[in-house]
This record gives sequence, C-alpha cells and structure tokens, in this order.
Amino acid sequence: MAVERDSPFAEPVDLPVDLQREILDLDARLDRLTHYEALGLRRGDGADAARAAYLERVKRFHPDRYGGKRLGSFRARLDRIVRRLTVARDVLADDGRRRAYEEETAPPDDVVRRQVGAIEEELRAAERKARLARTNPLVVRAARVNDLVCRGKEALAAGKLVQAAADLATAAALDPRHPEATALASEARRRAGAARAHELYEEGLRSEAAGRDDLALERFAAAVELVAGDARAAAAASRAALRLGRAGDARTHAEAATRAGPAYAPAFLALGAALAALGDRAAARQALERALELDPKLADAKALLRKQRWSLFR
Amino acid sequence: MTQNPEPCIGIDLGTTNSAVAAVVDGAPRVIPNRQGQLLTPSVVAVARNGKQLVGHVAKRQAITNPEATVYAAKRLIGRRWGSREVEDARQALPYPLVPGPDGHDVRVNLGGRAWPVPEISALVLAELKADAEAYFQRPVSKAVVTVPAWFNDGQRQATRDAGRIAGLDVLRIINEPTSAALAYGFGRSVNAKVVVFDLGGGTFDVSVLDIRDGVFDVVAVGGDTYLGGEDLDRRVMDWLVFDFARAHEGIDLRKDKMALQRLKEAAERAKCELSSAPSAHVHLPFLAAGANPGAALHLDAQLGRERLEELTRDLVERCVQVAERTLRDAGVRAQDVGEVLLVGGQTRMPRVQRAVRELFGREPSRSVHPEEVVALGAAIQAQMLVHPEASAAETLLLDVTPQDLGIVVAGGWFQTIIPRNTTIPTSERHLFTTSQDQQTSVRISVLQGEHERAAQNALLGEFVLTGIRAAPRGAVEIEVTFEISADGIVGVSARDPQTGQRQSITVTATSGLSQGELERILEEHRDEALSRRQAQGLLSSRRGAIEEAIAEIERLAPAAEAALQRSPFGDDAVRKARAVVARARAALAADDPAAALVEEPQIDRTVQLFRSLVAGGGA
Repeated sequence: MAVERDSPFAEPVDLPVDLQREILDLDARLDRLTHYEALGLRRGDGADAARAAYLERVKRFHPDRYGGKRLGSFRARLDRIVRRLTVARDVLADDGRRRAYEEETAPPDDVVRRQVGAIEEELRAAERKARLARTNPLVVRAARVNDLVCRGKEALAAGKLVQAAADLATAAALDPRHPEATALASEARRRAGAARAHELYEEGLRSEAAGRDDLALERFAAAVELVAGDARAAAAASRAALRLGRAGDARTHAEAATRAGPAYAPAFLALGAALAALGDRAAARQALERALELDPKLADAKALLRKQRWSLFR
Repeated sequence: MTQNPEPCIGIDLGTTNSAVAAVVDGAPRVIPNRQGQLLTPSVVAVARNGKQLVGHVAKRQAITNPEATVYAAKRLIGRRWGSREVEDARQALPYPLVPGPDGHDVRVNLGGRAWPVPEISALVLAELKADAEAYFQRPVSKAVVTVPAWFNDGQRQATRDAGRIAGLDVLRIINEPTSAALAYGFGRSVNAKVVVFDLGGGTFDVSVLDIRDGVFDVVAVGGDTYLGGEDLDRRVMDWLVFDFARAHEGIDLRKDKMALQRLKEAAERAKCELSSAPSAHVHLPFLAAGANPGAALHLDAQLGRERLEELTRDLVERCVQVAERTLRDAGVRAQDVGEVLLVGGQTRMPRVQRAVRELFGREPSRSVHPEEVVALGAAIQAQMLVHPEASAAETLLLDVTPQDLGIVVAGGWFQTIIPRNTTIPTSERHLFTTSQDQQTSVRISVLQGEHERAAQNALLGEFVLTGIRAAPRGAVEIEVTFEISADGIVGVSARDPQTGQRQSITVTATSGLSQGELERILEEHRDEALSRRQAQGLLSSRRGAIEEAIAEIERLAPAAEAALQRSPFGDDAVRKARAVVARARAALAADDPAAALVEEPQIDRTVQLFRSLVAGGGA
C-alpha cells in the first residue's frame, strides 16, 4: 500500500498493518474516550462485562504479547493504551466507583430526574417518621426523653440547677442508654449539690456570727455531707463543735478537713485546737506548726502554738 | 535438544536455594546443576586459599569457615544500613557486615574485601547461568529473575544489578507467587481465583490472582520480606542454645562461630525431619570445651513436633494475618477461592498446611512442586517475552505494585500517589504546590511503604527541582509524574507546568550500588569471566583424559599395593596416590579448572608409577 513518508507507517515495525492502524487510531482518541468507550461497552454495562472486555482488549494491546518483535514507537502507544484500559477497568469493575462515575458523567436530563427522585424520597421519609412518632410508644418515649434532655440542658445553662437535675434524672430513668442523659443528670446533681453546700456554708457563717454555734455546726456538717471533701466547711464545723465543748467531734471534723485540703492552713489550725483541747499537746504542736508552714500569717495558730510551748516548758 | 535460536532461562534466586529452568521442547523444566541437583544452595564463600566457592561446595565447607561463608544474602539485598532487618541480621549471621561508603548501603566483609550484596548474589546467578550453558552447550544470557512480591523498588533494583553483574540480560523481574501461578496454569485451562501462599527461606508472600482465558491478573499481594524458614531455624537454635546453657552452667554457644554454624545446620535438619516424623534427635558431639580442660561437651536433644509448633506459633500466626489482609484487599472471600497453591520449602511444615486449610476451608493443591515451581514459571515468562509465537497458550501476566508509592509532603507526612495493588505498568500525575513564600526549589523524596508518617517508609530516592518562579506559597504548582514499569521499577519526574522546568530520576541512588561502582564491577567481571571461560574450555578438553587416568589408577591400585609390599618404596606411595585422586575428583565435581589442572601432572606420574610397578611385579 502507499504510505506517506512522515506517517508512522513508514517505521519498520513487525506488526500487521491493520493492527498498526487500529493502534494509531485508538492512541489518538485515548484522552477523549469515556471509560465505557475505552472498553467498547455501553453505559450501564456491569462489572462482569467490564472485566471480560478488559481481558479481551488487553490481550490484543499488551506489548508483552509482541515480545521479540520490533515495535518502534508502537511500544509507547501500546503502553499508553494498556494504561488507559486498566484505569477504565479499575473504575467499571468496582461497583462503588462505577456508580460514582455514572453519576459524574450522567446526561443532564438523567441528573434532573435523579434529583427530583431524591427530593421526593426525602419528603416521603420525613412523612414516615412523623407517622411513626404518633403511633409507636417507643418512639413517643424517645421523643419525651429528648424533650426532657433539651429542657434540662436549658435549665443547666440558665443556672436553674435543681430543676435541671430533676428533668435530667427523669430522662436518664426513662432511657438509661441515652448517650447524654445519664452524664448530664449526674453533672446537674453535682452542681446543684455544690450550690446548696455553698448556701449552707454562708448560712452557717451567719449563725456563727449571731453566736448560734449549735445551728452553725448543723449547717456546716450538712454542707460537708453534700460535698464530700469540702475542707472549708469541715474546718468551720470543727471550730463550731469546739466552741460547743465537743472536742471529739471537733477533732473528727478537723481530720476530715485536713484530708480534703492537705494545703488548707485553717484545717490544721482547727485540728491543732481540737487536739490541744483533748490534751494531746505534742500532736497539737505538730498540727499547728504545719498550719504555720502553710500560712505563716495565721495569728491564731501562732498564739495557740506559743501557749503549747509555754505549757511544755512549765 | 531445543530448536530455539537462543535459549532463555528463568531463575528463582532464593534465600536458601536457587534454581534455573528453561522451556525445552515446549515444556518448562528445571535444569540440573553440574553436580546433577535441581536446587543450588544460595551460598557463597571465600576459601582459605582465596578461592570463591558457590553452591554445594560453599555450603559443605560452611562449618569450618563460618566467617567467610555467606548465606541468606537475599535478606540483605537492597536494604539500608541501620534498618531493623539489617540490625537483626547482624545479630544472627556469623559473617561480618559493614556499612558501604555512603553509609546507607550494606556490605559483607569477605576474604579481606567489603562486597556489595548484589555482587554476592551475582555469584549465585553466574553459577546458575554456567549450569544452563553447560546444559545447552552454548552461551545463555536472556533471563527472567524472580523476587518476592513484597520486595520494594530498592530490592528489585539491586536484584537487577546482580543479574547485570552476572552477565545476564534481565528481561524482567517478576514476582515469585505470580511465577508459581503461571507454572501452575501452564497447559491447564484454569478459570478461577487462585491464591499463592509462598513461605520460603526468608520471605513470605501471598498473592490473589484471577486467572481467566490465559490472562493471569494479579488482584492483590501481601507479604513480609523478613519472615521465612530462616526465622523458624533461629527459634530452634535459640531453644537449643538455651537448653545447653541451662545444662552446662551458662555456656553461651552463640559466642562460638563454628558451634553456631553447626547449630544452624542441625536446627534446619531437625525442622525438616519434623515435617514427616513426630520427633527429631539433635546430636552434636564435641560442640564446646567444658569447664575442665580437655573435657568436651556434647549437645543431645530431642525436639518434638509439638515443641517446634509452640516455638514458632507466632510466626505462623503472622502468615495467617497477612493472608487475611490480602484477601480483604482483593475483595475476595475465602470460600470464593478456587485453588490454593503452596510454594516454598517451609510450606512442607504440617502446621503451616493446617493453618492454610483452616483459613481457606479447603485442601491446598498438591499439583506443584514447592521448590521448583517458581523457576518453572520464570522460564515460561522468559519464553513468552522472547518467543511469544512459540508459546503454546496465549498467556499474559498482569502484575500489581505491592506497596503504596508516594512522596514526602510538608509536615513529614506520606502522600500516596500510586496505591498498592495497582496493575502495572502504570503512571499517575499529581499537582503539588510550594509550602513557603519565595520558594525556588523543591525536594522530591520518593517513598514506598505502608505508614502515614514518611519516616517509617522505605526511601527510594530523592531529587531536587530547581528554578521555580519565586512567588507566595501555594501560588506555584508542581506536577509530579510517577511511573512503574512492568518490572515494578519506579521512575519519577517533576515539572513546573508554567516554566516547563523538568527533573527526573530512575530511582537507584539510595539502594545498593552507584552507577560508577556498578560499571567498575561489570568491568572486573568481564575480565574474570573471560579468563574463567578460557580455563573452563581447557578443562573440558582435558576432563576425559583425567577421568580415564583416575579410572586406571583405581584399577591398578590393588595390584600396585601388592607389588609395593615387596618393594623398597614402602606403602606411602599408595596413600599419596589416594590423596591425589581424591583432590582431582573434587575439583572435577566442582568444575574447578584451576584445581583440576594442577592435579593433572601428579595423576600422570601416579599412572606411570603404578603401570611400572604392576608390570615389574607381574614379571
């Protein structure tokens, strides 16, 4: 056949001429082909068809099939074709990737039809949900739990701690596996307790000032009860008990105070005072020295300690 | 023999043993070495007299020459100095390793010289090449060489270099499990998903293939290049050492190189015995010197199959995990697998076979020979690449890249460009941007591996793209193209699309030999090969005469001995004659021209002496 001088046909290549022509044609169109066209498939053909078409084509175009032959520039062309075929196969033989590809490259009216379908589907889903909520007791209860949790959260944010604790505790009881209710309920309870303890402590201080040590002791002790480890309340309770002459109770409260606040000087002062009242001077001195170590300006502790020393020397 | 214009061979370069095969008269067959065996130990040694030994002769003298006998070089090829695997090997191997001149490469100190690992492997390849040449009676150079599927680019490059040093034209590097599947599918009509479970001496590979209409399409590969029979041997060795230390007041056999070599061989033997027997006896007399001078200590131990399985349980478990992951990657369920092939000597172990049976719920195929099948497949592939029209079936191999390939991006992260299990050859283009203002150059570090942190992966190579336009960060785009050839070998180029500035590498620099070094070695080997060929030619012309002379000496020996009794020479002439014959025999068996030709005059003299003795005595 007649061959132009600058055409690749002029190359000395050991391939049949019709195959050369097919390779040149395919290579020239490679970038414009869809995955389906690359494999000679129709839109909508499935994974199995893609695999079969790939096998058939790759056998024809893989350069390894022409080993020992002169391929010239056709080697690179065959290489490009095989890569293109492989990409097409990788996409079309994978159900997920094929669907994504189909959506990406769908014709416009297809896209519109699918979008309308999706909106209708969404509306139907919302309707179904509402109908379910009206009838199913489980769904009703879930809705009530959600309401309670919402209200509880609002109350918590607004500082209405008692109400929040009540709502959230109800929600947690209704649905013990609710992801938030239990944790929120215990948080609300804790914060409500802390707030009440603070109130009780303030009330106790007022009673103390009014000389009602019995009432003060009651309130401080209640505060300690609410918030285990409130060193300030425990130390105050110890002071009040001591003034009431109940040195044993004073020591118990003071010990609790030092446990809760190992760096809280008044706790050690209270302990020192209680121990001194009980007659254990050596221990009292140690407690007071510790109180001064923590807070050197604690005048009461200095005075009391001096008294202990004085007694010792005498 | 064959009518092919030029024979081409397939080589399975194994950790423990290697084999060479070719397609002869339309069927693949393993070519026996010059000692008549199908497997050649991958062992290289330098004897005390400076001679290089390869294969059986090297393995046989390992016990007496542990520090100059290199085995399992495949575990080191293409690896970096300081890597976990190399550190581990330094603990376990009796021969000394040193870093190469650039500090990254591994060298073996052998006979007073630091050998690059590819040069050691090249000696094994050259031996196999010579075996093939002896078989075909003509030069052979075109070869396909196999590597574990899990080998990275550096290990593949180094194996290719070894082939070049050995004087081979390496047509292609193919994966061992793929090669095994090819041999399995040869002459059969297979249309199924096939799993190859390849547990060799040093490496473990699993491949899932979809074989249809002669196309061998690899779907996924997995593996561990540092898991194999050698590791099982080491467990047995450690157990023996520990037991011995307990029985003999803490004598540590590992400090004695020679004892270590004997232990290694005994451990391997016991392990192999346990594949067919329920227990094996390890007996190594005079293994160490005792506390009292002159009192030697012996090792005597009984190893049961259950104990072996207990010692190696985690290793088998690791294989199962890799296999499960590979099936997941392939998207194939165990029950969809049509056939399971067991490849590699270590799959003879009953516990391994049981694990495979449990995993796939089926009996593995018994139709392939685990130690020969890889070489056979390589021979088929070689034949297909050189003479496709002569290949019986329309066969085509489509392999995949085993590990993610990518580059380091800002922050030390690994950005994958070509994900693992992508069919090769393949190429991929990616756009990156500069990370700093006024940046005029970028460093492209190419990595292969599994980790998201760059530093955890194998560095294949680096290059710098310069001459980038100065601009705010992110304003300049750089296009990086990755290519993986049909060999699985990586090429990378980077380009600034605006200026057209381009840089590229074929990634070689960091693993193994530099180009200059490779050329120097090739030059040396050309000279060596030439003189060896001349000597070989001389030997083959003299072989017949030497063998005849030996036969005559043996025939005359009894009569000569009788004659000597009556002569004044004494009988030490017979003893000397025996020694000469033994040396000449060994040299002929090893095909060692230098040694054989040295003995020839002695042989001649002995023949003359015996003839005259017998003639004189008979008269």
